[in-house]
Amino acid sequence: MKTLKICNISKSYRGVPALCNLELTLSGGRVHALMGENGAGKSTLIKLLAGVIPADSIKLLKDGEPVSLTSAQDAHAAGFRFIHQELNIVPQISVAENILLGRRYPCWFGPAINWRSLERKAQEALAFLGADHIPVKKIAGSLPSGDRMLVKIAAAFVADKEEATADLFVFDEPTAALSSDESRKLFKVIERLKNRGAAILYVSHRLDEVLSICDDITVLRDGHLVSTGTVRQTSRNALIHAMTGRDVKDAYPPRTSPIGVAPVVTAKNVSNEHLHGLDFTLHKGEVLGVVGLAGSGQGELLRLLLGDGKPKSGTLAFQMSPAPGSPNNAWRKGIAYIPRERRGEALMLSLSIRSNIVLPHLARFGWLANKHAETRIAEDLCEKVRLKYDSIEQTTSQLSGGNQQKVIFARALFGNPSLLLLDEPTRGVDIGAKFDIYQLVRAQSAKGCAVVLASSDLSEILGMCDRILVLQNGRQTALLSRDNMTSADLLQYFYTQEAA
Amino acid sequence: MIEKLRHSGTLLGFAAIIIFFALRLPDTFLTARNLINISQQLSMLTVVAATMTIVMVMNDFDLSVGSMASLAGIVAAVLFSMGYPVWVGILAALAVGLLGGFFNGFLVSVVGILPFVATLGTLTIFSGMAFLASGGKTIYGRDIPAGFSGFARAGIPLDSIGFSGLKLPYLSITAICVVALVWFVLEHTTFGRRLYAIGGNMEAAHLAGIRVKKLRLLAFGLTGIGAAAAGLMYASRVASANPTQGSGLMLDAIAAVFLGMTMSQQGEPRVLFTLIGVLMLGVLDNGLTQIKVDSYVREILVGVIVILAVAIATISKRKS
Repeated sequence: MKTLKICNISKSYRGVPALCNLELTLSGGRVHALMGENGAGKSTLIKLLAGVIPADSIKLLKDGEPVSLTSAQDAHAAGFRFIHQELNIVPQISVAENILLGRRYPCWFGPAINWRSLERKAQEALAFLGADHIPVKKIAGSLPSGDRMLVKIAAAFVADKEEATADLFVFDEPTAALSSDESRKLFKVIERLKNRGAAILYVSHRLDEVLSICDDITVLRDGHLVSTGTVRQTSRNALIHAMTGRDVKDAYPPRTSPIGVAPVVTAKNVSNEHLHGLDFTLHKGEVLGVVGLAGSGQGELLRLLLGDGKPKSGTLAFQMSPAPGSPNNAWRKGIAYIPRERRGEALMLSLSIRSNIVLPHLARFGWLANKHAETRIAEDLCEKVRLKYDSIEQTTSQLSGGNQQKVIFARALFGNPSLLLLDEPTRGVDIGAKFDIYQLVRAQSAKGCAVVLASSDLSEILGMCDRILVLQNGRQTALLSRDNMTSADLLQYFYTQEAA
Repeated sequence: MIEKLRHSGTLLGFAAIIIFFALRLPDTFLTARNLINISQQLSMLTVVAATMTIVMVMNDFDLSVGSMASLAGIVAAVLFSMGYPVWVGILAALAVGLLGGFFNGFLVSVVGILPFVATLGTLTIFSGMAFLASGGKTIYGRDIPAGFSGFARAGIPLDSIGFSGLKLPYLSITAICVVALVWFVLEHTTFGRRLYAIGGNMEAAHLAGIRVKKLRLLAFGLTGIGAAAAGLMYASRVASANPTQGSGLMLDAIAAVFLGMTMSQQGEPRVLFTLIGVLMLGVLDNGLTQIKVDSYVREILVGVIVILAVAIATISKRKS
């Protein structure tokens, strides 16, 4: 394919336009970045291209030939492949079956599945991705989360002879669940696809990533095209300006008050079944980053501080007294936690914004529910986190990802916590909301709240943290000061051998 | 508008059922006597369904309520036959309900067995215990003290408000009190709010500091007490105890909660809607009996209506 011209694409939901008359040209052999805040229309565009929702108007010209898109099958037949953002593998079945899911399984005489051929096809797809370390016979649910994402991505690369060759690949935030190492593998694959002449539409919130791997860039805002051009002609600041409509001088608000002296968390050689040799002291107002390859124990470290699980050996203290023994105890003592999985671990989607915010703090209202007091406090907090909402009683399922994250922040900021545990707090959150979140973290730290921030976004770690704890396979391998560190320096610590 | 219609679909169906019977049975259906009769017939189911709502709020359920009701009736009757006073029998039966409920809760929340499997197991355990304690026989006659069976026959006279000769049965009053209590607990205490949070997302509730295990244990305990109370009410009404007399309660109670769930905002169980579900089932039963429909046909109809109501709610929810 040389070019895919997308003309006149429009879509509105219940009269509210999500995309207005968009025009976009993708070229074979080029990576085209699509950027914009949450709600800018990126997901809508992808869903329209995938044929999963009907467009109000759409005109597609592939090398000048019109393409009709009315179903997901049409999109597949046209050679469009999608790597969606949500990580949805089927945990109970094998890696090979996950990769071939939704395709016609290779068979012997009709109904009997040809497992050898199925596994070979899966193996080929994984090899193409450079992920042949994943055994195809393994049950998918037993893989670490990075590998699961790779399995999902591999599904887009299964070679089918009978079908049209794939020549448009759409990646929707593929690196959100990948470690830096896995991301680099993925970038190599993208490079290879590009060299084969495929067009790539790449959606990401991560500016550095986009600037380094993409050739062209288009920015959407409120369903309109704001700017389009080659990556060389643009800059970080120009992009941020295009996306948010405002100038953002400093992506990360600087520290304005000194770190305190009183220790909040003291860990002395702490180990449990996932973690080994944790040894650090976190002071009042300090921001500690936790980094490492995906699945190195970052989440487990935060859970341990939350009292979900106990240390097997060593001593762990919170404000000079023994660490909390349960999440219930932790919230009572002023530890607030923002889990990694917004929908799975943090929100009750069927409940109201108010209920979600006050949930961990219900005990403060006594045994009788006090709706008036709850509403007052919840509304104050919503204002503080700059949540966009209609009513405090609306369910959180109606909010966008960024606003859902703000609800979880409002919950955490209730009653001014003394320790804030953040696990990937800006994952899948648009740039505008990210800045709001960084500012909230800074403000909290200025009040003396200690913060532990686990993140795979290294610029976020370098921008926000005072010290950085590196984990390898659950073992603390370094405790670094942020001073003069670059992401390249930091990345080296992920791989270095442990000191003997 | 469509949104409103979806939530009131079941309610409209209920109204249609009432109108239908009122027209078919103009002289007997919408009379004070019949309505009071329905309220008394339904009082046991109301208690079980209301307390069943407590566990269903957390997406759990309890299949053992029917056999727990039988067991509680038997425990009380056995104690009566041994000469213990009424209050001892009642307290012992309620204690058995609480312990049985805690045992269910222990299996579900501490051991971590699916509620379906755990309460299916305890269903047969409680049932077997009821047979064992009673020797498989019905306990009746002089063994049941008049003070106990008299409760079900007595009520508050309604002569003063113009219904001469009628009384509001204590059984109905008990059922109303239980519904009011469950309503208060679920809607107006932090305990109830936490249960809804567990139903919304158990993992998130745990990480937000909700003591999920403890609350699930407690909730199952309350459902157990409810089942035991219903068993006592049943024994009092028929002045006897039989190891199978509660067995019909479980399916109807779950059906009533499901009917109620079709009326709520997010499809979550609410005890007042459960009450409407109970009334629906009860009115249907009463009306169909009066127009002499075969009891087997009645069962088919009840099943069809439950499926219909839930199907309509599910389809319209998907469309909106």
